[in-house]
Amino acid sequence: MKLKYFALLIFTLYLNKVFAQGGLDASVSKRTIAIGEPFEISFTAKGNIEQFDPPSFSDFRVVGGPNQSSSMTSINGNTTVSIALSYNLVGVKEGTYTIGAARATIDGKSYRSKPIKIQIAKGNSTSHQGSKGAEPDNLTTGNASDMAKHLFIKAVANKTSVYQGEQITVTYKLYTNVSIVDIAMDKLPDFNGFWSQEVKNDNERIPWTQETINGTTYHVTDIKQIILFPERWGKLTLDPLGMTFLIRQVVPSNDPIEQFFGGSYKDVKYKIKSTPVTIDVKALPENGKPASFQGAVGHFSVEASADHLDLKANEALNYSLKISGTGNIKLLRSPKVKFDPAIEAYDPKVSDQITASLNGVSGSRSYTYLLIPRHEGSYDITPFEFSYFNPATQKYVTLTTKGYHLTVAKGDPTSNVTAFSSSDQQEVKLLDKDIRYIKDTTDLTWSTHTFFGSVWFWLLLLLGPLLFIAAWLYRNWYREHTKDVVRIKGRNANKVAAKHMASANKQLQNGDKKLFYEAVYRGLYGYLSDKFNIAAADLNKDNIADQLRLRGKDEAVINQLIETLDLCEMARYAPVVGTSEQEVYEKSKHIIHAIENA
Amino acid sequence: MRSYKLYLGFMLLLAPLFSMGKDQAVDLLTKGNGYYAKSEYKQAVAAYQQLLKNGFRSATVYFNLGNAYYKLEEIPSAILNYERAYKLTPNDEDVQVNLQLANLKIADKIETIPPFFLNQWWHKLILACSLTTWSVWGVVLFVIGFLVLIGYLFTQALRVKKIAFYAGICCLALALFCIVMATAQYRYFNDHREAILFSGAVNVKSAPNDQTKTLFVIHEGTKVKIDKREGDWIKIELPNGNVGWIGYSTVKVI
Repeated sequence: MKLKYFALLIFTLYLNKVFAQGGLDASVSKRTIAIGEPFEISFTAKGNIEQFDPPSFSDFRVVGGPNQSSSMTSINGNTTVSIALSYNLVGVKEGTYTIGAARATIDGKSYRSKPIKIQIAKGNSTSHQGSKGAEPDNLTTGNASDMAKHLFIKAVANKTSVYQGEQITVTYKLYTNVSIVDIAMDKLPDFNGFWSQEVKNDNERIPWTQETINGTTYHVTDIKQIILFPERWGKLTLDPLGMTFLIRQVVPSNDPIEQFFGGSYKDVKYKIKSTPVTIDVKALPENGKPASFQGAVGHFSVEASADHLDLKANEALNYSLKISGTGNIKLLRSPKVKFDPAIEAYDPKVSDQITASLNGVSGSRSYTYLLIPRHEGSYDITPFEFSYFNPATQKYVTLTTKGYHLTVAKGDPTSNVTAFSSSDQQEVKLLDKDIRYIKDTTDLTWSTHTFFGSVWFWLLLLLGPLLFIAAWLYRNWYREHTKDVVRIKGRNANKVAAKHMASANKQLQNGDKKLFYEAVYRGLYGYLSDKFNIAAADLNKDNIADQLRLRGKDEAVINQLIETLDLCEMARYAPVVGTSEQEVYEKSKHIIHAIENA
Repeated sequence: MRSYKLYLGFMLLLAPLFSMGKDQAVDLLTKGNGYYAKSEYKQAVAAYQQLLKNGFRSATVYFNLGNAYYKLEEIPSAILNYERAYKLTPNDEDVQVNLQLANLKIADKIETIPPFFLNQWWHKLILACSLTTWSVWGVVLFVIGFLVLIGYLFTQALRVKKIAFYAGICCLALALFCIVMATAQYRYFNDHREAILFSGAVNVKSAPNDQTKTLFVIHEGTKVKIDKREGDWIKIELPNGNVGWIGYSTVKVI
């Protein structure tokens, strides 16, 4: 039996030698695999492969390959090239399989690789074996409180009461008097409510200093320096910084020899946290806050510059605002600069030159605006106002830059910008909306005392109809009474005459002859006028006589009447002779009576 | 000529009513405008309010007061005064623009239905003259009409009589028209059918009772139509047709 194995060994060695020298080697990553477990088979050739026939992988599934790799080695000027071809295979069925020989032509010679036996087992019991490297198990995790006196981290803030936006420098200091093998930062705390900026330390070496606290000497170093800007006010707590240390500790030993050589030791892992720090953040005072304040806290200066001020339309200029100083410069909001609407302004280019050091964040930030005046004219770039809060003086400071005056000449017509249409007209842009301005007309009306509905209104309104009704009534009455004017007059003539006669009689009694004759005259004439409807203008003796004759009056009466009238007329100018007044009176009465009754 | 003289006579008769404190009122308006120009809106509001308290009314005062309130961000008051100015001068573009801008600042979105054109014409017509002008013309024409008719009664010549009759009838018709216009204008201004909401948010109830269901909520500055009033409650209607009841004290009528 032993012999058999020996013979096999010899044979294999021999074979090995033959094939090795033949230059085509086959190897597998694992000889025993589980179903579904991938393994690699690779064929290595020394020299250039001119032709390669892989063996049949019918019992396996090919999941990858062929992958080719080559290596070159040069030993004592002797250069060897080796090329490897590999396949990734997966076992499909349980059992033992043989991967046949691969054939290759290398440097003109034909070679065969040796077949390889693979055993495929059920399950995946062997799949993870040895896949993970074992951790060194000589580490133990120690209790941090045990080490509190020998190893601790202190967070030191340069200020604990600040204004919102004011910068604070927080230094994490490591105190130790034990030997540290390794340091690992667990996680940088997220500073809730702060904007943080780490101070970069350039030198590789960590400087250690010595400090004595309560009689114990510590080695001290700054682990981290961070500049913080509180973003809100109130009591804000800085999260502790956690670190993991590997401490070499001496293991007490009874062996004096071991003690003599320094003894044995072990490395213990400690997790250490810094003490939390509370920062009291005060709100910025509302009192005296300028309108242009945008949250800048610190100490700043501002400067405006323009590269050229005399230019042609459609030429560009750069206008920049540079804010420099110390404070929350990185948190500055883009300034609101208003340019004349005729100037096309682009969003500013922001460039920072900011350094963070132990003294805080300082540097400058510039906003560069590209301005293109599109039309000729002169424009003002209004001074820019910048406000910041100075925590040292606890006051707001407002800075104003220089204003600029642009003189824009007419643009070169040939260099017209493509963005403009050839007609060079543009719509009037509506920049903003606001209510229309107040009016100044003074068309005030008295609303409480209107004419409409007042007493006057109604009275005047009634006046029309009342007047009309009155007029109508009057007209009707008048019409009724003037239906037959002549008849009425005739009817009344006697009465009228009698009235005159009575008046004449009265004058006669008084002895006033002149008035007597006048009354008689009037009485007669009036009577005749009314009786015969003769207008006063037509009233003369001839006409009267004609009218009387026309009515067939007695000629004697007519003559008497004419006589009497003549007498009366005469009597008004001269004294009457030959007849007495009484006689005339009686005669007149007689005439009227005669006319009346005829 | 005769009517003109009469009109003048009436104006003279009424003149004392108008001249009372008018100079003072103009001074007050100028003062208010001065404050407004200097952005002292509170003083401007006080001046305009004083003017209104003294019984003066004009679209200008309401418009300027609305502007001052707008600048003070008191939007419901601004809307109320713009609406009052709009009522006085429905065709003034400035008033319309400012009213629209103010309406953009309130919580409730208002879909303004463009006024019906006949309505617009009607308002244009009744507002063509002031109330006093309409009523004075009405009275004067009324009296003239009757005087001419009296002339008709007493003239003999047929031609003159005919002319007088028709002229009188025409005068009376015109007078009637003027009085109708005056009445319409009076009612237009004194029938307070619309109101502006002044309480921050108001629950609109289904009945004039606090215990009933809340149908919807409207916010300050919203314009509502008043359908009727019952005690402290008013029935309102929104432009979209929603109807409900709210307390009378939550609104100010236009």
